[in-house]
Amino acid sequence: MAQIKSNKAQTRKTVIAIGDGPAIPSKKDAGLFTAWRVSLVGAIAIIAFLVTFKQDPYLAILKFVPDGILITFQVTVESIILALVIGLFTGLGRISKNRIINGIASVYVEVIRGIPLLVQLFYIYFALGRVVNLPAMVSAIIAMGICYGAYMGEIFRAGIESIHKGQMEAARSLGMTNAQAMRHVILPQAFKTILPPIGNEFVALLKDSSLVSILAVSDLLRRGREFASQSFNYFETYTMVALVYLVITLFLSKIVSIMEERISVD
Amino acid sequence: MSTETRTVMVRMRNVYKYFGQLRALNNVSLDIYDGEKVVVIGPSGSGKSTMLRSINKLETVDAGDIIVDGININDEKTNINRVREEIGMVFQSFNVFPHMTVRENLNLAQMVVRKRTKEEAAAISKELLTKVGILEKADQYPGKLSGGQQQRVAIARALAMKPKLMLFDEPTSALDPEMINEVLDVMKKLAKEGMTMIVVTHEMGFAREVADRVIFMDFGAIIEEGTPEHFFKNPTEERTKLFLSQIL
Ligand SMILES: Nc1ncnc2c1ncn2[C@@H]1O[C@H](COP(=O)(O)OP(=O)(O)O)[C@@H](O)[C@H]1O
Ligand SMILES: [Mg+2]
Repeated sequence: MAQIKSNKAQTRKTVIAIGDGPAIPSKKDAGLFTAWRVSLVGAIAIIAFLVTFKQDPYLAILKFVPDGILITFQVTVESIILALVIGLFTGLGRISKNRIINGIASVYVEVIRGIPLLVQLFYIYFALGRVVNLPAMVSAIIAMGICYGAYMGEIFRAGIESIHKGQMEAARSLGMTNAQAMRHVILPQAFKTILPPIGNEFVALLKDSSLVSILAVSDLLRRGREFASQSFNYFETYTMVALVYLVITLFLSKIVSIMEERISVD
Repeated sequence: MSTETRTVMVRMRNVYKYFGQLRALNNVSLDIYDGEKVVVIGPSGSGKSTMLRSINKLETVDAGDIIVDGININDEKTNINRVREEIGMVFQSFNVFPHMTVRENLNLAQMVVRKRTKEEAAAISKELLTKVGILEKADQYPGKLSGGQQQRVAIARALAMKPKLMLFDEPTSALDPEMINEVLDVMKKLAKEGMTMIVVTHEMGFAREVADRVIFMDFGAIIEEGTPEHFFKNPTEERTKLFLSQIL
C-alpha cells in the first residue's frame, strides 16, 4: 500500500517514504531512473526473447492472458473511481467538527487499515453475497473500493489540511457556506497536492487487484492460473504473468512521475 | 452631530474570549457608528485580531453580545453567512485564491453568495478593479502579482460584495515598504467615500489622516480611546504612552 504522508509526517525533518509501491523514478534520482530503465528494457527484452525463441509455451501464454489484462484494468479503474468517491467523503468526515461524522469516518479508516486486504476482500465479498446476489466482478470492485477508500480518505484529508487556513477564512468571510468554500476554494487547490499520491494509489491498486483472482474474476493472474492448470506449465506461465505486471506498473509509475513533475513546475 | 441620532453599525457589550486559559478579550464594550473610521492599535498579542475576527464570527466569543447592523450574531437563529455578506474582511496575508485569476477571485462570491449573474458580477468586478488600479491584471493569476497588488485584489474582492462594513487586520504589515502606500491610498479613497471601517494598523500617518477615533488595546482590553489628536498630543494612560513611544 502506498505510504500516506500525514501532516505530522511532513513537519518532521526526514520523511522516510518507503512503500511497496513501485519505485517512482524522478530526475533528481538518477540511480532510480536508471533502475527503471533497466527494469523496463530488461522485462520487454525477456518477453521478446521467450516469445521468439521458446514459442512453446510462451507464445501461447502471451496470447491467452490479454483478456485478463483488460479485466485487471477494468477492476482497477472502477475500484479507483469508487475509492475516490468514498475517499472524498471520508476525508471530509475526518476533518469534520461534527463528532458523529468524524467518528464514523475515523473508525472506518482505522478498521480498514487494521485488516489485511485479502481478508477484507473475502469478508466484503461474502458479506455482500448474503444480502444481494451480485456478479463476482461487481462484488470485487465494491470490496476493493471500500478498502482503498480508507487510504484515499487519508490522502484527501492531508490534501485539504495542506491548504493554508486563511483560504477557508477568506471564503467564509465572503459569506460562503462551508460546503461552498470547500467546493470552490479548498478542493480545487487540494487537488494539485493529492493528484500524485492518487496516481501512486492507482499503481498500488493495480497490483493489489491480482487478489481478486481468488474471487472468480478472470483478471491477469487468474487467466495465468487457468492456463497453467490446463497446460501444467506453472513456472513458465507465472514468469510471463510477472513480466506483464512489471511492464504495466513500470509504465504507469512513469506516467505518475511525469505528472508529479508537471505539477511541481507550476 | 449628537451620538444619539447616529446608527450603530457594530455594538460589542462585555465581550470575553478565551483560548484555553488565555483571556484574549477582556470585557470589551464598543460602539462603532455608521460611516465611522476606527483605527485599533496595541502591542502584539493584545487581542486586536481576536476582536476584529469576533465581529464576523471567525472567532466565537465566550460571553457578551455582538450586534452587527442590528443583528445579534451570537444568536442561534442568526444565519452568520448572511451577516458576513455585509462585512468585508482584509487579512494581513491577503488570502487571495491562487487557483483563480484576479477577475475570478472577484466574481466567485458575487455569483455563489450574492447570486448575481455572470454579467452583473463581471461589471462590478471591472468597476472595482478600476478603483483599486489593477484592471490590467484582471486575467493574471495572483502568484504573478506583487504583495501590494494582491492586497488590492483582496480589497476589491471584499468590496465587490458591496459590504456595509470593512474590517482590515494589519493590511500592510506583510508588505515591502515601497508597496504600503498603494494599499493605504486605496483605503483612504474608500474612507472618503464614507465606508464604515475598522482598521488594525500601526501606520500612524494613516490613523492621523483617516481615523475618527483611535482605540488602544492591551491584554485583551480597551485601555484608551480618543481622536488621533488626543493620542499624538496627550495620551493619558502610561501604557499608551509607552506603546506610542515604541512605534512612533
Ligand atoms: N487560535 C488561537 N489559539 C490560541 N491562542 C490564540 C489564538 N488566536 C490568538 N491567540 C492568542 O490570543 C492572544 C490575542 O491574539 P491576537 O488577537 O491575535 O492579538 P493581536 O492581533 O493583537 O496581535 C494572543 O496571546 C494569542 O497568542
Ligand atoms: Mg493580529
